[in-house]
Amino acid sequence: MRRFAVLVVIVALAPLVLRYPELETQILTFGLLAVAFNLLLGQMGFLSFGQATFNGAGAYVAASALIDAHAALPLALLAGLLAGGATAGLIGALAITGRGVYGVMLTFAFNEMAYYIAFQWRDVTGGDNGLRGIPTPALFGLSLDDATRYYYFTAVVVLLAFAAVLRIIDSPFGAVLRAIRENENRARAIGFRVRRYKIAAFAISGALSGLAGGLYAELFRFVPLQAIDLDTSTNVVIASLLGGIGSPYGALLGAAIFTVLSDSLSHVWSHWPLVFGLIFCAVVLFFRGGLWGIADRWTRRAAHA
Amino acid sequence: MSGLVEIQLLNGIVQGMIYALVAAGLTLIFGMLDIPNFAHGAFYALGAYVAFTVVASTGDFWLAIAVVPLVVAGLGLLVDAFAMRRLARAGHVYQILFTLGLVLIVQEAIVLIWGADPTSVDVPRGLDGGVPLGVVSFPYYRLFLVAASALVIGVVWLGLERTKYGAIIRAGIDDPEMVDCIGIDVQRLFTIVFGIGVGLAGLAGALILPIRGGQPAMGQELMAISFAVVVIGGLGSYLGAVVGGIFVGLTQAIMTIVYPAASEVAIFAAMALVILVRPQGLFGKR
Repeated sequence: MRRFAVLVVIVALAPLVLRYPELETQILTFGLLAVAFNLLLGQMGFLSFGQATFNGAGAYVAASALIDAHAALPLALLAGLLAGGATAGLIGALAITGRGVYGVMLTFAFNEMAYYIAFQWRDVTGGDNGLRGIPTPALFGLSLDDATRYYYFTAVVVLLAFAAVLRIIDSPFGAVLRAIRENENRARAIGFRVRRYKIAAFAISGALSGLAGGLYAELFRFVPLQAIDLDTSTNVVIASLLGGIGSPYGALLGAAIFTVLSDSLSHVWSHWPLVFGLIFCAVVLFFRGGLWGIADRWTRRAAHA
Repeated sequence: MSGLVEIQLLNGIVQGMIYALVAAGLTLIFGMLDIPNFAHGAFYALGAYVAFTVVASTGDFWLAIAVVPLVVAGLGLLVDAFAMRRLARAGHVYQILFTLGLVLIVQEAIVLIWGADPTSVDVPRGLDGGVPLGVVSFPYYRLFLVAASALVIGVVWLGLERTKYGAIIRAGIDDPEMVDCIGIDVQRLFTIVFGIGVGLAGLAGALILPIRGGQPAMGQELMAISFAVVVIGGLGSYLGAVVGGIFVGLTQAIMTIVYPAASEVAIFAAMALVILVRPQGLFGKR
């Protein structure tokens, strides 16, 4: 609870310090994506390589709702959320048929499939050129056509979603997911319908990703093809690991650091992914808890001292 | 029209043999050793670029074909010995993540060393003509590619099925502790299998270079398709990987004639269908 309060304060004060609201909004939407990924990996132990699929589905559907149906922003976001959840439920049902790693591979392959569909289905997605013409954001008549205002709107939505994730983790449902992670056969033997739980977890993660996609689409009033490509999925995985797999706070932290780093370093040295890859491999080999794990250890050590 | 459809189908087989080579390596590593190697495509791209350098500096494509599998396999040995084995205890997730970091490194190193623009080499001398086929002709080099891939795939298969080392490897996969007890260092053999697996991917990259050239992102695209191939063929089945590769290559070629917009999507749709109808894949056990 105290951690969440600190998070709310940081999110509320961030624009005063950084004064670059678009980037901060992007941190939030990408952070939500990482939190959604973290729910599957951190709780259920499933590494989803297809978060961009659900992100893209949400972005395209929310954008289409805004453009073609002139839907209100909350409704469009809800549509994006549902689209992400439905896509993830479907892909999850197919991906969990085999053993763990087999499923990872399937989420990867289905992501590529989704990319090609988006690439070819120009009437809906704009293909290579991206989906343009999304109207400026407004909420119940109040214009959000101001980067700081839209940041705060996104902040409220993302924090609510984050609170929901914390609640899910603490719920009996979350406990079952962890039971599946620790020993799937035992969870099944106790009588839990493991398959249903897995698909439900996928749908929730996908819904959050779809919501993130909708928020992202409205941020730039544009859905690029990158919203659904494998690089985005890869970035989600990388950011989450950097932050730390064990905690949704870690996922947010990783997303923030990743977004800021890739924004600033790409100006410094265009080949920064090389260094980044080396650091990433080192993290995997030596600091598996990620930054959040390191911070957690320090705070505990400080508390003991 | 005579000849054009045949050419498309032949091209499908050419592409299919490349998929088969890559997927055969992937199925050795992924299916048999149970190591989730998400950098397999990166080794393929590396193969193409190392071949490019050999051709550019010596002008000898045959030398490239000989050197590339060794170089790429050597890198594979290092990766397995220093990272994959160490991460085996931490679990699959960390092995996946490490190979993901490798993808970043290799992709960016390629851009740094060879540049972001596509590269290409000429078809080796002596193979620059073609077999006349109706109004068009089919390049000799592509026939060579099919023959060479088939030969290598066959040799690796024979090595696995008909030699002492193959028998030890298969025994080690079934029961590593037992093989250890007989006094055989099974881990070392597994590392060699890992090397052979990525070596196959490197060779495939070198073979495709005169036809497609090289681009930094070539590995990523191939990765997803070769996943589809091993799912269709059956994870862990060597024969399945080969048949699946050719099947996917032909599917792509046929769709290019019938409905080009869906030629990639069709591959993954076929994969989804296989998962629903026959989850273990066409040649998989269980």
